Amino acid sequence: MFYVELLIAGLVQGAMYAMMALGLTLIYGLLRILHIAHAAFFTLGGYVGVLAANSGLPLGAAAALGVLVAATAGPLVYGTVYRPLLDKPPYVALIASIGLLIAMEDGFRLLFGPYGLSFAENPWFVTGPDLGGIFLNWVQIALGLSAVLAIAGLGLFAVGSRAGVAWRATVDDPEMAMSFGVSPERVRLLAFALASALAGLAGFLVGLLNNLIEPGMGNITSYKGLAIVVLGGLGNVPGTLWASLLLGVAESFGTIYLDKILDRDAIAFFILVAVLMWRPQGLARGR
Amino acid sequence: MATRRMVTGLLLGTAVALAGTGVPGAGAAEAIRIGFHAPLTGFAAGDGKSARLGAELAVEQINAAGGVLGRPLELVTYDDQAKPDQAVPVANKLLGEGIVAAISGSYSGATRAAAAVFQQAGMPYVSAYAIHPDITRTGDYVFRTASMGEVQGRGGAKLIGEILGQKRVVLITLDNDFGQSLARGFKEKAGDFGIEIVSEYTYGIKERQFGAIVASVKRDAPEAIYASGYFFTAGPLVSQLRAGGVRATIVGQEGYDSQNFIDIAKAAAEGVLITTALDRDSDRPEVRSFIGAFEEKAGFPADMVAASTYTAVQVLAHAIERAGGTEGKAVRDALAATRDFPTAIGPVTFNALGEIYKPIQVQVVKDGRFRRFAVIDDPVLLAPPAE
Repeated sequence: MFYVELLIAGLVQGAMYAMMALGLTLIYGLLRILHIAHAAFFTLGGYVGVLAANSGLPLGAAAALGVLVAATAGPLVYGTVYRPLLDKPPYVALIASIGLLIAMEDGFRLLFGPYGLSFAENPWFVTGPDLGGIFLNWVQIALGLSAVLAIAGLGLFAVGSRAGVAWRATVDDPEMAMSFGVSPERVRLLAFALASALAGLAGFLVGLLNNLIEPGMGNITSYKGLAIVVLGGLGNVPGTLWASLLLGVAESFGTIYLDKILDRDAIAFFILVAVLMWRPQGLARGR
Repeated sequence: MATRRMVTGLLLGTAVALAGTGVPGAGAAEAIRIGFHAPLTGFAAGDGKSARLGAELAVEQINAAGGVLGRPLELVTYDDQAKPDQAVPVANKLLGEGIVAAISGSYSGATRAAAAVFQQAGMPYVSAYAIHPDITRTGDYVFRTASMGEVQGRGGAKLIGEILGQKRVVLITLDNDFGQSLARGFKEKAGDFGIEIVSEYTYGIKERQFGAIVASVKRDAPEAIYASGYFFTAGPLVSQLRAGGVRATIVGQEGYDSQNFIDIAKAAAEGVLITTALDRDSDRPEVRSFIGAFEEKAGFPADMVAASTYTAVQVLAHAIERAGGTEGKAVRDALAATRDFPTAIGPVTFNALGEIYKPIQVQVVKDGRFRRFAVIDDPVLLAPPAE
């Protein structure tokens, strides 16, 4: 039972990582930008959600609003910050991204105060289905379900829809795609909207789970997201998924069995170093 | 006409400027400048805000009552982000600001780093609530108005083992100066109170997800949990423990001591015990007046950080008054000679190391507020080191 609970705790954490890392890997696949500021959209989803919920909106609507705002802000940031830098070397966009994260984080702090915000009512967190001794609350279930749905949805979208085909064509060869009438610009905007929506939803759910929305809440997740993206093989969507779940479970067991040796946050980077040394193409088979 | 108005304006401007800079003879008495550093940005900014409000409240009250030696106090405030590498340049900047003494409204790491700078400069320095043992060992110019971590940890052991009579205990330790020194004190005395430590888990300060620890604590089935942390880690930890079905008594410490903890953990906070410095149900007038004045100024209830920083300013002002001047050595000697000075955290007397003895206030969360549960007044168990 204990191991089942550890495993579940790890999978929930992994689902959260997956939702963050998917966006990172999508954007990297398209633009070759390491989008560090992704963390800020995670936080943004949380803040919009908590403000909406505390002003009387039902939790579901608050979640939708958080996702919507994040999904709008993502393409906006792409247009204002990244687009002008696309023909510069990749580290320019990376530096801009780090700057953007710091600016947004301190923006949240200035706007909403240093203490962080909590949900006035948090019913999803304190209730859950009875699973015979295993306590799971609705927030944890929602995190797991969202990750599964997001990944399945992305898969269907990429294979089965026109926009998905355009997307894959743009990833493979932007110029060729353009000559077939695909607008790479629209694909990029779509990627940022999707990635930011996922981050916003993850931020909202994690906010419920911690009952605390803080200016810097996305940082660790984002840095780990980067490690996951590398572990999964840069730009590789299924690889990213497996790496997320693996890391979540490794951390869950590591917190209990390795805590005298390795800090939990060090586990991700320890695995990262190991993988870079022995399998630099990532854990999954190369594309 | 125009020229005359200009000359008057100039004269007026000069007079205002002179008064502003406090040049003697310009009217107002020259302010006594006190250096103050606290984490105003970064992860600890919440505590930094409480610290700053506490310090400002003390200065306002002292100035309203006529100041110190007939001169007003002025706080020179810098942000140290609770980082040691920021605290050193901040301390040096403060030394260049014409201060006569300094106060730390910050955490242990930053305070230890700044203490070395102030000690070397012969500048009296009071740490309001940082609890690392090495702070006062930096030298004879460094004082502290908080109980050391080890001392609080011993108090926690007495609370669980003797007052509550619970013997099976799990430790959840925050992996930094604060958490480790609490755990050390707790483990040192646990045996004396018949406590069996079933297991100990550690977590990092950025952690907010405790699923694995919750699952393990359930397996351990302890009677009580001694968990160190700050409100932003303790809030999620306590809610997740309760949501995971853990019913054991939870004992925290000063780090929990903020209304924010209760706002985060909500119903899960009910019944949580903490060992701290501020007794909300005290009937001492100096405590009551602080609690009322702080809530009025801040708009949120007083906490341990605010009370300790408020106290540090008062203790320092009291010492300058008795020293009869602002010379460093004289102020240091007056600080060292502080005896039974009544404050919001109890009477303050410094020992040879610059530490204070004070009873530990055990507070319990009841109906969304901290209330008195017990007071541990045990001068032997809670004696601070004297060297």
